Amino acid sequence: MNTARLAVFAPVDSTARVEAVVRRLADAIALGLLADGEQLPSEAELAGQLGVSTVTLREALMALRQQGMVETRRGRGGGSFVRLPSDLDLGLLLRGYAVEELRDLGDHYAAIAGAAARLAAQRALPSDLAPLLRSLDEMAKADWDGRLRRLDGRFHVEIAAASQSARLTQEEIRLQADIGPLLWLSRDEHHEMTKRQLFDQHRAIVEAIRAGAGDQARELAERHVLDAVDHLIELRLRLQE
Amino acid sequence: MTKLQAGRPADVVDAALARVGQVAGEVFTTLREVRAATAATVLSVRQAGREPVAADLATLRPLLWNRLDSARLSALIAGIGFIAAPGLLADAAWYLEWWQENPSGRPVQLLRDLDPSSSAFYDYTHWDWYAGPLAGAEHTICGPYVDYLCTDEYSLTFSAPVTVAGAFIGVAAADVFVRRFEAAVDPALREIPAPALLTNAEGRVVASNTARWIAGSAYRGAPGFTKHAIGDLPFTLVAADR
Repeated sequence: MNTARLAVFAPVDSTARVEAVVRRLADAIALGLLADGEQLPSEAELAGQLGVSTVTLREALMALRQQGMVETRRGRGGGSFVRLPSDLDLGLLLRGYAVEELRDLGDHYAAIAGAAARLAAQRALPSDLAPLLRSLDEMAKADWDGRLRRLDGRFHVEIAAASQSARLTQEEIRLQADIGPLLWLSRDEHHEMTKRQLFDQHRAIVEAIRAGAGDQARELAERHVLDAVDHLIELRLRLQE
Repeated sequence: MTKLQAGRPADVVDAALARVGQVAGEVFTTLREVRAATAATVLSVRQAGREPVAADLATLRPLLWNRLDSARLSALIAGIGFIAAPGLLADAAWYLEWWQENPSGRPVQLLRDLDPSSSAFYDYTHWDWYAGPLAGAEHTICGPYVDYLCTDEYSLTFSAPVTVAGAFIGVAAADVFVRRFEAAVDPALREIPAPALLTNAEGRVVASNTARWIAGSAYRGAPGFTKHAIGDLPFTLVAADR
Protein backbone atom coordinates (compact mmCIF):
# COMPACT_ATOMS: atom_id res chain seq x y z
CA MET A 1 0.00 0.00 0.00
CA ASN A 2 1.53 3.39 -0.91
CA THR A 3 1.94 6.13 1.66
CA ALA A 4 -0.66 8.47 0.16
CA ARG A 5 -3.22 5.73 0.50
CA LEU A 6 -2.16 5.01 4.07
CA ALA A 7 -2.65 8.66 4.97
CA VAL A 8 -6.30 8.41 3.97
CA PHE A 9 -6.87 5.96 6.77
CA ALA A 10 -4.75 7.76 9.37
CA PRO A 11 -6.64 8.85 12.48
CA VAL A 12 -8.59 12.05 11.92
CA ASP A 13 -7.11 15.07 13.65
CA SER A 14 -9.04 15.65 16.85
CA THR A 15 -8.29 19.40 17.01
CA ALA A 16 -11.39 20.17 14.97
CA ARG A 17 -13.60 18.48 17.54
CA VAL A 18 -11.94 20.33 20.42
CA GLU A 19 -12.43 23.57 18.50
CA ALA A 20 -16.10 22.76 17.90
CA VAL A 21 -16.73 22.10 21.59
CA VAL A 22 -14.88 25.26 22.65
CA ARG A 23 -16.87 27.28 20.16
CA ARG A 24 -20.22 25.80 21.21
CA LEU A 25 -19.65 26.47 24.91
CA ALA A 26 -18.04 29.88 24.35
CA ASP A 27 -20.99 30.96 22.17
CA ALA A 28 -23.43 29.87 24.84
CA ILE A 29 -21.53 31.71 27.56
CA ALA A 30 -21.07 34.92 25.55
CA LEU A 31 -24.76 34.98 24.66
CA GLY A 32 -25.83 34.29 28.21
CA LEU A 33 -27.40 30.92 27.38
CA LEU A 34 -25.13 29.52 30.06
CA ALA A 35 -25.19 31.81 33.06
CA ASP A 36 -22.30 33.25 35.04
CA GLY A 37 -21.58 30.88 37.92
CA GLU A 38 -23.65 28.04 36.50
CA GLN A 39 -22.17 24.59 37.13
CA LEU A 40 -21.56 22.50 34.03
CA PRO A 41 -22.51 18.81 34.10
CA SER A 42 -19.75 16.36 35.05
CA GLU A 43 -17.04 15.73 32.43
CA ALA A 44 -18.37 12.27 31.63
CA GLU A 45 -21.94 13.50 31.34
CA LEU A 46 -21.03 16.53 29.22
CA ALA A 47 -18.80 14.46 26.93
CA GLY A 48 -21.66 12.00 26.44
CA GLN A 49 -24.14 14.75 25.65
CA LEU A 50 -21.86 16.48 23.18
CA GLY A 51 -20.95 13.14 21.62
CA VAL A 52 -17.19 13.57 22.11
CA SER A 53 -14.57 11.63 24.06
CA THR A 54 -13.65 12.69 27.60
CA VAL A 55 -10.17 13.53 26.34
CA THR A 56 -11.57 15.92 23.73
CA LEU A 57 -13.82 17.51 26.33
CA ARG A 58 -10.92 17.99 28.77
CA GLU A 59 -8.87 19.74 26.10
CA ALA A 60 -11.82 22.01 25.31
CA LEU A 61 -12.33 22.86 28.98
CA MET A 62 -8.66 23.65 29.31
CA ALA A 63 -8.88 26.10 26.41
CA LEU A 64 -11.96 27.70 27.96
CA ARG A 65 -10.14 27.99 31.29
CA GLN A 66 -7.31 29.80 29.54
CA GLN A 67 -9.86 32.21 28.02
CA GLY A 68 -11.25 32.79 31.50
CA MET A 69 -14.70 31.46 30.56
CA VAL A 70 -14.63 28.39 32.76
CA GLU A 71 -13.33 27.89 36.27
CA THR A 72 -12.66 24.49 37.76
CA ARG A 73 -12.78 23.93 41.51
CA ARG A 74 -11.55 20.76 43.14
CA GLY A 75 -12.92 18.82 46.06
CA ARG A 76 -16.40 18.67 47.55
CA GLY A 77 -18.84 20.91 45.72
CA GLY A 78 -16.23 21.17 42.99
CA GLY A 79 -16.62 20.94 39.25
CA SER A 80 -16.52 23.26 36.26
CA PHE A 81 -18.31 26.58 36.50
CA VAL A 82 -19.17 29.19 33.88
CA ARG A 83 -17.34 32.49 34.21
CA LEU A 84 -18.64 35.45 32.27
CA PRO A 85 -15.61 37.71 31.79
CA SER A 86 -17.27 40.95 32.89
CA ASP A 87 -14.52 43.52 33.06
CA LEU A 88 -12.77 42.65 29.86
CA ASP A 89 -10.11 45.22 29.10
CA LEU A 90 -11.07 46.63 25.72
CA GLY A 91 -7.57 47.85 24.92
CA LEU A 92 -6.06 44.49 25.67
CA LEU A 93 -8.76 42.73 23.69
CA LEU A 94 -8.48 45.08 20.71
CA ARG A 95 -4.72 44.68 20.42
CA GLY A 96 -5.43 41.09 19.40
CA TYR A 97 -7.13 42.30 16.22
CA ALA A 98 -5.62 43.95 13.18
CA VAL A 99 -7.73 46.69 11.65
CA GLU A 100 -8.15 44.54 8.57
CA GLU A 101 -9.61 41.74 10.69
CA LEU A 102 -12.08 44.07 12.33
CA ARG A 103 -13.08 45.41 8.94
CA ASP A 104 -13.58 41.88 7.62
CA LEU A 105 -15.60 40.75 10.64
CA GLY A 106 -17.72 43.87 10.24
CA ASP A 107 -18.26 43.17 6.53
CA HIS A 108 -19.38 39.64 7.31
CA TYR A 109 -21.66 40.67 10.14
CA ALA A 110 -23.19 43.53 8.12
CA ALA A 111 -23.92 41.13 5.25
CA ILE A 112 -25.67 38.65 7.56
CA ALA A 113 -27.57 41.28 9.56
CA GLY A 114 -28.59 43.11 6.38
CA ALA A 115 -29.80 40.01 4.57
CA ALA A 116 -31.72 38.85 7.63
CA ALA A 117 -33.43 42.23 8.05
CA ARG A 118 -34.43 42.35 4.39
CA LEU A 119 -35.99 38.88 4.52
CA ALA A 120 -37.64 39.68 7.84
CA ALA A 121 -39.32 42.69 6.19
CA GLN A 122 -40.62 40.47 3.41
CA ARG A 123 -41.77 37.62 5.61
CA ALA A 124 -42.53 38.82 9.13
CA LEU A 125 -46.04 38.28 10.45
CA PRO A 126 -47.43 39.77 13.69
CA SER A 127 -46.09 36.88 15.79
CA ASP A 128 -42.57 37.65 14.53
CA LEU A 129 -42.92 41.34 15.36
CA ALA A 130 -44.24 40.75 18.87
CA PRO A 131 -40.91 39.58 20.35
CA LEU A 132 -39.06 42.47 18.67
CA LEU A 133 -41.43 45.00 20.19
CA ARG A 134 -41.16 43.31 23.57
CA SER A 135 -37.35 43.46 23.39
CA LEU A 136 -37.42 47.17 22.43
CA ASP A 137 -39.65 47.79 25.39
CA GLU A 138 -37.49 45.84 27.86
CA MET A 139 -34.32 47.51 26.59
CA ALA A 140 -35.81 50.96 27.10
CA LYS A 141 -36.31 50.06 30.76
CA ALA A 142 -32.96 48.32 31.33
CA ASP A 143 -29.93 49.95 32.93
CA TRP A 144 -26.59 50.00 31.18
CA ASP A 145 -25.37 46.62 32.38
CA GLY A 146 -25.16 42.96 31.48
CA ARG A 147 -28.90 42.71 31.11
CA LEU A 148 -29.00 45.36 28.40
CA ARG A 149 -26.26 43.55 26.53
CA ARG A 150 -28.14 40.26 26.73
CA LEU A 151 -31.33 41.94 25.52
CA ASP A 152 -29.43 43.53 22.64
CA GLY A 153 -28.16 40.08 21.67
CA ARG A 154 -31.64 38.61 21.90
CA PHE A 155 -33.11 41.44 19.81
CA HIS A 156 -30.73 40.75 16.94
CA VAL A 157 -31.33 37.00 17.13
CA GLU A 158 -35.07 37.71 16.96
CA ILE A 159 -34.63 39.79 13.79
CA ALA A 160 -32.64 36.94 12.24
CA ALA A 161 -35.34 34.44 13.26
CA ALA A 162 -38.00 36.66 11.66
CA SER A 163 -36.23 36.06 8.33
CA GLN A 164 -37.44 32.43 8.67
CA SER A 165 -33.91 31.28 7.86
CA ALA A 166 -32.33 28.86 10.34
CA ARG A 167 -28.92 29.30 8.71
CA LEU A 168 -28.95 33.10 8.93
CA THR A 169 -30.04 32.81 12.55
CA GLN A 170 -27.24 30.38 13.40
CA GLU A 171 -24.78 32.70 11.67
CA GLU A 172 -26.09 35.71 13.61
CA ILE A 173 -25.55 33.81 16.87
CA ARG A 174 -22.03 32.80 15.83
CA LEU A 175 -21.10 36.35 14.79
CA GLN A 176 -22.44 37.75 18.04
CA ALA A 177 -20.08 35.40 19.84
CA ASP A 178 -17.16 36.48 17.61
CA ILE A 179 -17.59 40.22 17.62
CA GLY A 180 -20.56 40.97 19.91
CA PRO A 181 -18.63 41.51 23.16
CA LEU A 182 -16.13 43.74 21.33
CA LEU A 183 -18.84 45.85 19.74
CA TRP A 184 -20.56 46.18 23.06
CA LEU A 185 -17.43 47.23 24.91
CA SER A 186 -16.74 49.88 22.27
CA ARG A 187 -20.08 51.46 23.18
CA ASP A 188 -19.11 51.62 26.80
CA GLU A 189 -18.41 55.35 26.86
CA HIS A 190 -20.99 58.13 26.92
CA HIS A 191 -23.78 55.78 27.93
CA GLU A 192 -26.69 58.13 27.59
CA MET A 193 -25.87 59.37 24.12
CA THR A 194 -24.95 55.89 22.92
CA LYS A 195 -28.07 54.40 24.42
CA ARG A 196 -30.34 56.88 22.65
CA GLN A 197 -28.53 56.30 19.36
CA LEU A 198 -28.77 52.54 19.81
CA PHE A 199 -32.49 52.65 20.55
CA ASP A 200 -33.23 54.99 17.65
CA GLN A 201 -31.46 52.61 15.28
CA HIS A 202 -33.26 49.58 16.73
CA ARG A 203 -36.63 51.26 16.45
CA ALA A 204 -35.99 52.33 12.85
CA ILE A 205 -35.09 48.75 11.88
CA VAL A 206 -38.26 47.38 13.49
CA GLU A 207 -40.37 50.04 11.77
CA ALA A 208 -38.90 49.16 8.37
CA ILE A 209 -39.58 45.45 9.00
CA ARG A 210 -43.12 46.23 10.11
CA ALA A 211 -43.69 48.33 6.99
CA GLY A 212 -42.40 45.51 4.78
CA ALA A 213 -39.68 47.84 3.44
CA GLY A 214 -36.97 45.27 2.70
CA ASP A 215 -34.30 47.48 1.13
CA GLN A 216 -34.63 50.06 3.87
CA ALA A 217 -34.46 47.39 6.59
CA ARG A 218 -31.29 45.99 5.06
CA GLU A 219 -29.72 49.44 4.75
CA LEU A 220 -30.50 50.26 8.39
CA ALA A 221 -29.29 46.92 9.73
CA GLU A 222 -26.02 47.18 7.79
CA ARG A 223 -25.51 50.75 8.99
CA HIS A 224 -26.18 49.65 12.57
CA VAL A 225 -23.34 47.13 12.40
CA LEU A 226 -20.95 49.26 10.38
CA ASP A 227 -21.34 52.33 12.64
CA ALA A 228 -20.28 50.22 15.60
CA VAL A 229 -17.40 48.64 13.68
CA ASP A 230 -16.20 52.08 12.48
CA HIS A 231 -16.09 53.19 16.08
CA LEU A 232 -14.16 50.07 17.03
CA ILE A 233 -11.65 50.65 14.24
CA GLU A 234 -11.11 54.24 15.39
CA LEU A 235 -10.38 52.96 18.89
CA ARG A 236 -7.99 50.39 17.47
CA LEU A 237 -6.11 53.01 15.43
CA ARG A 238 -5.77 55.25 18.46
CA LEU A 239 -4.12 52.38 20.34
CA GLN A 240 -1.20 52.41 17.95
CA GLU A 241 -0.29 56.02 18.62
CA MET B 1 -50.53 20.99 -20.50
CA THR B 2 -51.25 19.66 -17.03
CA LYS B 3 -53.66 16.80 -16.70
CA LEU B 4 -56.38 17.77 -14.31
CA GLN B 5 -58.04 14.39 -14.14
CA ALA B 6 -56.08 13.14 -11.17
CA GLY B 7 -59.37 12.69 -9.32
CA ARG B 8 -62.27 14.99 -8.45
CA PRO B 9 -60.79 18.14 -6.92
CA ALA B 10 -63.06 17.91 -3.87
CA ASP B 11 -61.92 14.35 -3.18
CA VAL B 12 -58.21 15.08 -3.36
CA VAL B 13 -58.65 18.17 -1.18
CA ASP B 14 -60.53 16.05 1.37
CA ALA B 15 -57.78 13.45 1.23
CA ALA B 16 -55.12 16.12 1.84
CA LEU B 17 -57.12 17.50 4.79
CA ALA B 18 -57.33 13.98 6.22
CA ARG B 19 -53.61 13.40 5.75
CA VAL B 20 -52.65 16.64 7.54
CA GLY B 21 -55.07 15.78 10.34
CA GLN B 22 -53.57 12.32 10.60
CA VAL B 23 -49.93 13.49 10.74
CA ALA B 24 -50.65 16.21 13.31
CA GLY B 25 -52.91 13.79 15.17
CA GLU B 26 -50.03 11.35 15.65
CA VAL B 27 -48.00 14.03 17.39
CA PHE B 28 -50.90 15.04 19.62
CA THR B 29 -51.55 11.39 20.52
CA THR B 30 -47.96 11.18 21.76
CA LEU B 31 -48.42 14.42 23.71
CA ARG B 32 -51.47 12.96 25.45
CA GLU B 33 -49.27 10.06 26.59
CA VAL B 34 -46.67 12.48 27.97
CA ARG B 35 -49.44 14.46 29.60
CA ALA B 36 -50.96 11.40 31.29
CA ALA B 37 -47.57 10.20 32.54
CA THR B 38 -46.65 13.65 33.89
CA ALA B 39 -49.96 14.17 35.65
CA ALA B 40 -49.71 10.68 37.21
CA THR B 41 -46.18 11.40 38.45
CA VAL B 42 -47.09 14.72 40.03
CA LEU B 43 -50.27 13.31 41.54
CA SER B 44 -48.50 10.35 43.15
CA VAL B 45 -45.80 12.61 44.64
CA ARG B 46 -48.46 14.85 46.13
CA GLN B 47 -50.37 11.87 47.48
CA ALA B 48 -47.16 10.85 49.22
CA GLY B 49 -47.40 14.14 51.06
CA ARG B 50 -44.74 16.33 49.42
CA GLU B 51 -44.32 18.75 46.54
CA PRO B 52 -42.68 17.51 43.31
CA VAL B 53 -39.00 18.25 42.58
CA ALA B 54 -37.16 18.20 39.23
CA ALA B 55 -35.76 14.72 39.88
CA ASP B 56 -39.29 13.28 40.12
CA LEU B 57 -39.76 14.01 36.42
CA ALA B 58 -37.02 11.51 35.56
CA THR B 59 -39.80 8.90 35.60
CA LEU B 60 -40.86 10.31 32.22
CA ARG B 61 -37.56 9.44 30.54
CA PRO B 62 -38.28 5.93 29.25
CA LEU B 63 -41.44 7.23 27.55
CA LEU B 64 -39.71 10.32 26.11
CA TRP B 65 -36.73 8.31 24.85
CA ASN B 66 -39.03 5.79 23.26
CA ARG B 67 -40.91 8.49 21.37
CA LEU B 68 -37.63 9.87 20.02
CA ASP B 69 -36.64 6.51 18.60
CA SER B 70 -35.80 7.15 14.97
CA ALA B 71 -36.61 3.53 14.13
CA ARG B 72 -40.27 4.31 14.75
CA LEU B 73 -42.63 4.44 11.82
CA SER B 74 -42.86 8.14 11.11
CA ALA B 75 -39.93 9.53 13.15
CA LEU B 76 -41.44 12.99 13.05
CA ILE B 77 -40.46 14.12 16.53
CA ALA B 78 -37.00 15.68 17.08
CA GLY B 79 -37.49 16.82 20.68
CA ILE B 80 -40.07 16.09 23.34
CA GLY B 81 -40.77 16.73 26.97
CA PHE B 82 -42.58 18.51 29.74
CA ILE B 83 -42.23 22.21 30.57
CA ALA B 84 -43.07 22.93 34.19
CA ALA B 85 -45.22 25.90 35.11
CA PRO B 86 -42.99 28.32 37.07
CA GLY B 87 -43.33 27.41 40.73
CA LEU B 88 -44.58 23.86 40.20
CA LEU B 89 -41.36 22.27 41.42
CA ALA B 90 -40.09 22.80 44.96
CA ASP B 91 -36.43 22.93 43.90
CA ALA B 92 -36.49 24.72 40.52
CA ALA B 93 -38.55 27.76 39.60
CA TRP B 94 -37.99 27.09 35.90
CA TYR B 95 -37.54 23.61 34.52
CA LEU B 96 -37.78 21.62 31.31
CA GLU B 97 -37.61 17.84 31.25
CA TRP B 98 -36.61 18.02 27.60
CA TRP B 99 -34.93 15.44 25.41
CA GLN B 100 -33.71 15.67 21.84
CA GLU B 101 -32.91 13.06 19.25
CA ASN B 102 -29.24 12.45 18.64
CA PRO B 103 -28.37 10.98 15.25
CA SER B 104 -25.29 9.31 16.70
CA GLY B 105 -26.93 7.54 19.58
CA ARG B 106 -29.08 7.91 22.66
CA PRO B 107 -31.27 10.99 23.12
CA VAL B 108 -29.64 13.96 24.84
CA GLN B 109 -31.14 16.22 27.45
CA LEU B 110 -31.40 19.90 26.65
CA LEU B 111 -29.71 21.98 29.32
CA ARG B 112 -30.41 25.66 29.32
CA ASP B 113 -30.02 28.50 31.70
CA LEU B 114 -33.65 28.96 32.63
CA ASP B 115 -33.29 31.76 35.11
CA PRO B 116 -34.70 34.96 33.56
CA SER B 117 -32.48 37.06 35.83
CA SER B 118 -29.30 35.74 34.17
CA SER B 119 -30.50 34.85 30.68
CA ALA B 120 -32.41 37.15 28.37
CA PHE B 121 -33.76 34.23 26.43
CA TYR B 122 -35.69 31.99 28.61
CA ASP B 123 -38.80 33.35 30.17
CA TYR B 124 -40.70 30.66 28.38
CA THR B 125 -44.15 31.86 29.44
CA HIS B 126 -44.00 34.32 26.49
CA TRP B 127 -43.77 31.64 23.87
CA ASP B 128 -46.93 30.57 22.06
CA TRP B 129 -46.20 26.93 22.82
CA TYR B 130 -46.59 27.79 26.50
CA ALA B 131 -49.14 30.62 26.37
CA GLY B 132 -51.57 28.64 24.15
CA PRO B 133 -52.02 25.66 26.48
CA LEU B 134 -52.01 28.00 29.50
CA ALA B 135 -54.97 29.82 27.95
CA GLY B 136 -56.74 26.47 27.65
CA ALA B 137 -56.08 25.51 24.00
CA GLU B 138 -56.08 21.73 23.63
CA HIS B 139 -54.13 21.81 20.36
CA THR B 140 -51.41 24.43 19.97
CA ILE B 141 -48.97 24.40 17.07
CA CYS B 142 -46.31 27.08 17.23
CA GLY B 143 -44.49 27.97 14.02
CA PRO B 144 -43.11 27.35 11.48
CA TYR B 145 -40.38 29.37 13.21
CA VAL B 146 -36.61 29.34 13.62
CA ASP B 147 -36.28 27.55 16.94
CA TYR B 148 -33.00 29.01 18.17
CA LEU B 149 -33.56 27.78 21.72
CA CYS B 150 -33.87 24.06 21.15
CA THR B 151 -33.46 22.56 17.70
CA ASP B 152 -31.59 25.34 15.84
CA GLU B 153 -33.82 24.38 12.93
CA TYR B 154 -36.93 25.59 11.17
CA SER B 155 -39.49 23.88 13.36
CA LEU B 156 -43.02 23.40 14.54
CA THR B 157 -43.68 23.01 18.25
CA PHE B 158 -46.82 21.08 19.17
CA SER B 159 -48.10 21.53 22.70
CA ALA B 160 -50.94 20.59 25.02
CA PRO B 161 -51.84 21.57 28.59
CA VAL B 162 -51.14 19.28 31.55
CA THR B 163 -53.46 19.58 34.50
CA VAL B 164 -53.82 17.88 37.87
CA ALA B 165 -57.21 18.12 39.58
CA GLY B 166 -58.19 20.82 37.13
CA ALA B 167 -55.16 23.01 37.87
CA PHE B 168 -52.60 23.82 35.12
CA ILE B 169 -49.14 22.45 35.98
CA GLY B 170 -47.30 22.88 32.68
CA VAL B 171 -47.11 21.87 29.05
CA ALA B 172 -46.41 18.66 27.17
CA ALA B 173 -44.66 19.57 23.92
CA ALA B 174 -42.82 18.15 20.92
CA ASP B 175 -40.61 19.70 18.22
CA VAL B 176 -41.08 18.62 14.61
CA PHE B 177 -38.77 19.88 11.86
CA VAL B 178 -40.75 21.66 9.15
CA ARG B 179 -38.95 19.64 6.48
CA ARG B 180 -40.19 16.38 8.02
CA PHE B 181 -43.76 17.60 8.33
CA GLU B 182 -43.55 18.84 4.75
CA ALA B 183 -42.31 15.46 3.56
CA ALA B 184 -45.17 13.73 5.37
CA VAL B 185 -47.94 15.82 3.79
CA ASP B 186 -46.41 16.68 0.39
CA PRO B 187 -47.59 13.57 -1.46
CA ALA B 188 -51.19 14.41 -0.54
CA LEU B 189 -50.76 18.05 -1.58
CA ARG B 190 -49.28 17.02 -4.91
CA GLU B 191 -52.43 15.03 -5.68
CA ILE B 192 -54.35 18.30 -5.78
CA PRO B 193 -54.38 19.40 -9.45
CA ALA B 194 -54.24 23.11 -8.60
CA PRO B 195 -52.00 25.35 -6.48
CA ALA B 196 -52.52 24.39 -2.84
CA LEU B 197 -50.75 25.34 0.37
CA LEU B 198 -50.91 24.50 4.02
CA THR B 199 -50.61 27.51 6.35
CA ASN B 200 -50.75 28.16 10.07
CA ALA B 201 -53.43 30.41 11.56
CA GLU B 202 -51.42 33.53 10.70
CA GLY B 203 -50.74 32.58 7.10
CA ARG B 204 -47.19 31.24 7.47
CA VAL B 205 -46.76 28.52 4.82
CA VAL B 206 -45.91 25.05 6.19
CA ALA B 207 -45.96 23.11 2.92
CA SER B 208 -47.25 23.60 -0.61
CA ASN B 209 -47.38 22.17 -4.09
CA THR B 210 -46.48 25.48 -5.73
CA ALA B 211 -43.27 27.54 -5.99
CA ARG B 212 -45.34 30.72 -5.62
CA TRP B 213 -45.68 30.01 -1.89
CA ILE B 214 -43.08 27.82 -0.28
CA ALA B 215 -42.53 26.79 3.32
CA GLY B 216 -41.59 29.85 5.33
CA SER B 217 -43.19 32.43 3.06
CA ALA B 218 -46.26 34.39 4.10
CA TYR B 219 -49.67 33.83 2.48
CA ARG B 220 -51.50 37.15 2.71
CA GLY B 221 -54.61 36.15 0.77
CA ALA B 222 -55.17 35.86 -3.00
CA PRO B 223 -58.25 35.98 -5.23
CA GLY B 224 -59.59 32.66 -6.46
CA PHE B 225 -58.42 30.64 -3.45
CA THR B 226 -60.61 28.88 -0.88
CA LYS B 227 -59.62 28.14 2.72
CA HIS B 228 -60.43 24.73 4.19
CA ALA B 229 -60.39 24.21 7.95
CA ILE B 230 -58.68 21.09 9.33
CA GLY B 231 -60.70 19.97 12.35
CA ASP B 232 -59.76 22.14 15.32
CA LEU B 233 -56.10 22.35 14.26
CA PRO B 234 -54.66 25.85 13.89
CA PHE B 235 -53.80 25.01 10.27
CA THR B 236 -55.62 25.86 7.04
CA LEU B 237 -55.44 24.27 3.63
CA VAL B 238 -55.70 26.94 0.93
CA ALA B 239 -56.45 25.69 -2.58
CA ALA B 240 -57.06 27.44 -5.91
CA ASP B 241 -60.66 27.15 -7.06
CA ARG B 242 -60.15 26.28 -10.69
